[in-house]
Amino acid sequence: MTNNMSGISVFLADKGIYFLTAFLLVLGIYGMITCKNYMKKLICMNIMQVAVIFFFLCFGQKNGGTIPVQVTGLMGARHYINPLPHGLMLTAIVVSLGTTGVGLALLTRIKEKYGSIEEDDIIKGENKF
Amino acid sequence: MAKKIKNAIPVVIIAIVLAAAFARFDFLPSIGDPDAPAHTRTSDYYIEHAVKDTNSPNYVTAVIVDYRAFDTMLETTVMFLAGLGVVILLASRPDPKARIIKPRKFTENREHLGAPAYQSINKDVMIKIIEPLILIYAVYVLFHGEVSLGGGFQAGALIGMVYIIDTMVSPGTISLIRLPKERSVALAGAGTFIYTLTGILTLVGGGVFLEYGKLPFSMSFEEKHSTGILMVEVGVTIGVMATIITILNAIHERARFDDDK
Repeated sequence: MTNNMSGISVFLADKGIYFLTAFLLVLGIYGMITCKNYMKKLICMNIMQVAVIFFFLCFGQKNGGTIPVQVTGLMGARHYINPLPHGLMLTAIVVSLGTTGVGLALLTRIKEKYGSIEEDDIIKGENKF
Repeated sequence: MAKKIKNAIPVVIIAIVLAAAFARFDFLPSIGDPDAPAHTRTSDYYIEHAVKDTNSPNYVTAVIVDYRAFDTMLETTVMFLAGLGVVILLASRPDPKARIIKPRKFTENREHLGAPAYQSINKDVMIKIIEPLILIYAVYVLFHGEVSLGGGFQAGALIGMVYIIDTMVSPGTISLIRLPKERSVALAGAGTFIYTLTGILTLVGGGVFLEYGKLPFSMSFEEKHSTGILMVEVGVTIGVMATIITILNAIHERARFDDDK
């Protein structure tokens, strides 16, 4: 029994974070499918992007590693965590800012034309023609 | 009944996706495993050779603006294009005949809702204390981006945040700087141009594009690399800052905060 329990906790310590990021990703997908408000859809898209960023950052972690800035007297790759996912995700965060900005601009146009950003109101307004 | 099935479909799809992901977790490396595939290819080379190759003790800066500088250049271009897209999307207003809901004269007959909540922020504290501190931190992060943690993207985001605070605490009054969206998008283009100019300067010095060691200045190899990285970071900072300001200004001047009543 205790052996089995420790197996589960080792599994969670090793791989549990992947389950959390996958859960965050499908939370975003679920929100994008079910929400009727376009602003909420945009927020859910951001949650998805954050999930992907977390997933990549998990790969940069290294046991016993410090931040990726060289310290005098500490040589060798095993002392520092992996800088590559951090660099890639830094640019991904900035690009997600750009996509959010363009999405907000589209929402402004939709609000001006339809008077609302609720999907039901927009469909109702289109059916009037 | 049909509506119930329609509502259940997303839940079922997501349950299947989660179950499939959970079944494949065994193939992913453990957290913190030093022998994981992500740590055994190029990252060791980056960590061991970064200081010798690029004179930058911060490996993240070395990777994004030196080893992968071409990637970051196009990333800055993406930011510029996002700002340009926002400006083009909001350049015109929809035809009044094509609007579903006719615009009201919303200055008349509007319920007086009082001042917006953000105007109650203490201006003296924000403008006199918080904003200079953020600006000093932004400059520190920009110029120390290669030695300690930081870099151009972070500095640009911080300076954009100062502009956002300045717009929020003093909306109607005359602010220190006013950048209309047309000018700030041009500023973002200037930031991208500074980045590209660094690459062209290295071409003039006889190297390949963005090879900082061949900058046409009379410096040592390490100083040339530091100068190249700093020029690129300044370009990235201006690009990111101007894009944030563009998005804020373009949307802020079209949004009516209390027209729903």
